[in-house]
Amino acid sequence: MTADPISQFFANLAAPGHLATFEGHSATLRFDVDDGGQAQHWYVAVNDGDVAVTRPNGVTRQNKGADAIIHVDRLPFEAIVTGRMNAMAALLRGVLTCEGSMAALMMFQRCLPGPPGSTGRVAPISSQTVMAQRRPM
Amino acid sequence: MSNQLVQILEGNTFVVSDDRGDIEASRTDPTGLFSFDTRFLSRWVLTVNGQRLTALSTDDMQYFQAQFFLVPGGGTVYVDAKLSVIRQREVADGFREQLRLLNHENSPVDLTIRIEAASDFADLFEVKDALKKKGKYGNELVDGCLVLRYQRETYARETWISSTEPASIDEKGFTFNITVPAHGEWSTELDVVASEGLADGPQAKAQPAPIGIRGQGRPRVREDMAHGLQKWLQKVPTVESDWQAVGHIYRRCLTDLAALRFSTLTLPGRAMPAAGLPWFMTIFGRDSILTSLQALPFTAELASTTLLALAERQGTRIDDFRDEDPGRIPHEMRYGEMTAFEERPHSPYYGNADATPLYVVLLDEYERWTGDAKLVRDLEQPARAALNWIDEYADLQGNGYVSYQRRNQKTGLENQCWKDSWDSISYRNGDFPGFPRATCELQGYAYDAKVRGARLARHIWQDTALADRLEKEAADLKRRFNRDFWVEDGEYFAVAIDTDGRRVDSLTSNIGHLLWSGIVEQSKARSVARHLLGPRLFSGWGIRTLAKGEARYNPIGYHVGTVWPFDNSFIAWGLRRYGFKDEAACVVAGIMEAAEVFHGRLPEAFAGYERAATRYPVQYPTACSPQAWSTGAPLLLLRAGLGLEPQGDNLIVDPALPLRFGHLQICDLPGRWKRMDAFGRGRVDTDRLMGRKLGGKQPPAG
Repeated sequence: MTADPISQFFANLAAPGHLATFEGHSATLRFDVDDGGQAQHWYVAVNDGDVAVTRPNGVTRQNKGADAIIHVDRLPFEAIVTGRMNAMAALLRGVLTCEGSMAALMMFQRCLPGPPGSTGRVAPISSQTVMAQRRPM
Repeated sequence: MSNQLVQILEGNTFVVSDDRGDIEASRTDPTGLFSFDTRFLSRWVLTVNGQRLTALSTDDMQYFQAQFFLVPGGGTVYVDAKLSVIRQREVADGFREQLRLLNHENSPVDLTIRIEAASDFADLFEVKDALKKKGKYGNELVDGCLVLRYQRETYARETWISSTEPASIDEKGFTFNITVPAHGEWSTELDVVASEGLADGPQAKAQPAPIGIRGQGRPRVREDMAHGLQKWLQKVPTVESDWQAVGHIYRRCLTDLAALRFSTLTLPGRAMPAAGLPWFMTIFGRDSILTSLQALPFTAELASTTLLALAERQGTRIDDFRDEDPGRIPHEMRYGEMTAFEERPHSPYYGNADATPLYVVLLDEYERWTGDAKLVRDLEQPARAALNWIDEYADLQGNGYVSYQRRNQKTGLENQCWKDSWDSISYRNGDFPGFPRATCELQGYAYDAKVRGARLARHIWQDTALADRLEKEAADLKRRFNRDFWVEDGEYFAVAIDTDGRRVDSLTSNIGHLLWSGIVEQSKARSVARHLLGPRLFSGWGIRTLAKGEARYNPIGYHVGTVWPFDNSFIAWGLRRYGFKDEAACVVAGIMEAAEVFHGRLPEAFAGYERAATRYPVQYPTACSPQAWSTGAPLLLLRAGLGLEPQGDNLIVDPALPLRFGHLQICDLPGRWKRMDAFGRGRVDTDRLMGRKLGGKQPPAG
């Protein structure tokens, strides 16, 4: 199970119990992850930054009324929780669908990681280099 | 052949057609029905008995409605028309078109009406760059609807077309074989819906799902849009002036602002300003913030929605493709296919260096006007994250200044300030600085964000330690900035400092924003004001983006010599902040007079030619009109002219208006004072100050 990035992601999400990025937000989300015809479920409840994650066996009375129900296949969802696919792009692409509150999904995507190779840094470019790339006046 | 384009829109759905109402788009031709940055109709052609029609007249009644009066036959030959054809079109989540045929003969007439429909489902970016599609097309007939369909993997988009009158439908359109009685009429309503597709195809659901709200159980509501516009116009203050044009300009601004209102999927029923119509009907951090600031004295709703919508999309991670950092306020959101497949970074893209500090500026200014402390408390986390971004992520050179350099070197933006064209930032001699670049106005915004953030921290978040720290940092930034950016031999601020700390020494309008932000030391302010109204920057209509005499100066260059009304409106506010009332009045006069010439609708930019040389301001050609921040400019100029400034629960009015205004009154200004009226009389002889009557070249006194 440790090799499963989705379980790992939700375990990490739940571990601190509270996330500053969710402060001021409350919402519930149910993830229906399709693994070759077999559905796996995760249920995320956020209450003003407090985060609880459970893994129900199926649709229960509690999670039936989740603010947002997210449908997604396992492979793309693995890419999303590891930052290899952007969740909003996935939504536009139809890879991921959101039933219910779009605002809840907007909140949730805040905790997703960025792409693995992103460093936030890039080498400076000198004035000479910029001038060389430009057409002369 | 018809060339004149007619455009109508609602939210980010819009239709661009010729003056007959027909759409015949080529790959790169920007006509069609567009929704969520995708073209849903590229062909929509009406024929009667196989003949195209000719427009007698076209009327765009409202921004969301148009009417086309047509007769059969084409070309220049006069047609003795026995038949009138009227198409009335209204944009919703697609459009509805009422098609009416009037027979003027004394006997019945048999007609074959044909509507041809097709779509290339091009992404706006593809329309711009003429790129090839990667998916497959397929049309189907479903339950009496013609469904045009495009699919690429799980991405599917559909156009659903139906008619209220029976038609024979094939995969290319609708045919009506009808008989119109003598002096009689026939009509049908065609309904076109832009829909998100399902991977299984349209048969699987048998009805369209307007994009973005699938599964939300929301029925397709047709809002009474005319009523909505009326309500909007009734809620805002009234403006009257002896100068007739002022009232006209004001009404034009309000109607255009109404058209530019945009609702996001997460905040339905609330409106924020999009950047421009029709191609920029989407969230733009900078444009939405600056327009909200301009409109704040007249309507605060745009500001609150902008603050909420941008907070939802605020950066939370490092993403080099999207130039995203934690706390960064987004630059631009797009919904098309290329964004969906991550071929473009706009989901959203974060490449700007000004929207984040400006976010805090807007939040504070909003509270000063409205007294809505609750929103400031609700948005405490995003505001703190924005303040943190300034120090943690924007100081790319470790020198204490906000800089920018794109990390997405392929599709990211090079210049991440408002002057975002490639050649906007240069030294006097025309050379370009390297990257990162720290432009001067960014430092002003950062300073202002810290000062205002400190006020919010002290009075609303009750965090004295943060307030103290921000105030100290602001004071330090101001001191360093006035030393490091000051160009001694010109007595103004450099447009930027480069990677070596060298001043990028050209004279630009950016220095006007510094007055607005308050970062300029008192001793240097007069010299800055003198430059702004001096002959190198001031054209007589307004302040040029780049001064005459600089190597790259070009009066018709996008950011290197043209006059931008929005830029001028903030500079006027800045001049007032430092007490330069006469100078501010000159800017107010110039831009308002230009607005009068443009019939109330200011373009994004106009040429920087000397006023005396052209007599009329020469419009710079742009694709979008109206542009949000040009629309907002007269509103901010009215504020600057009247010297409106909230102070506690009072609204200060300190007029310094050009003579032309005569008497000016704004009634029912909303705010923490509930409603207030403001009056002023034009007393500043701006013509004399600008030396126009003395030959047009003299700089103003002061």
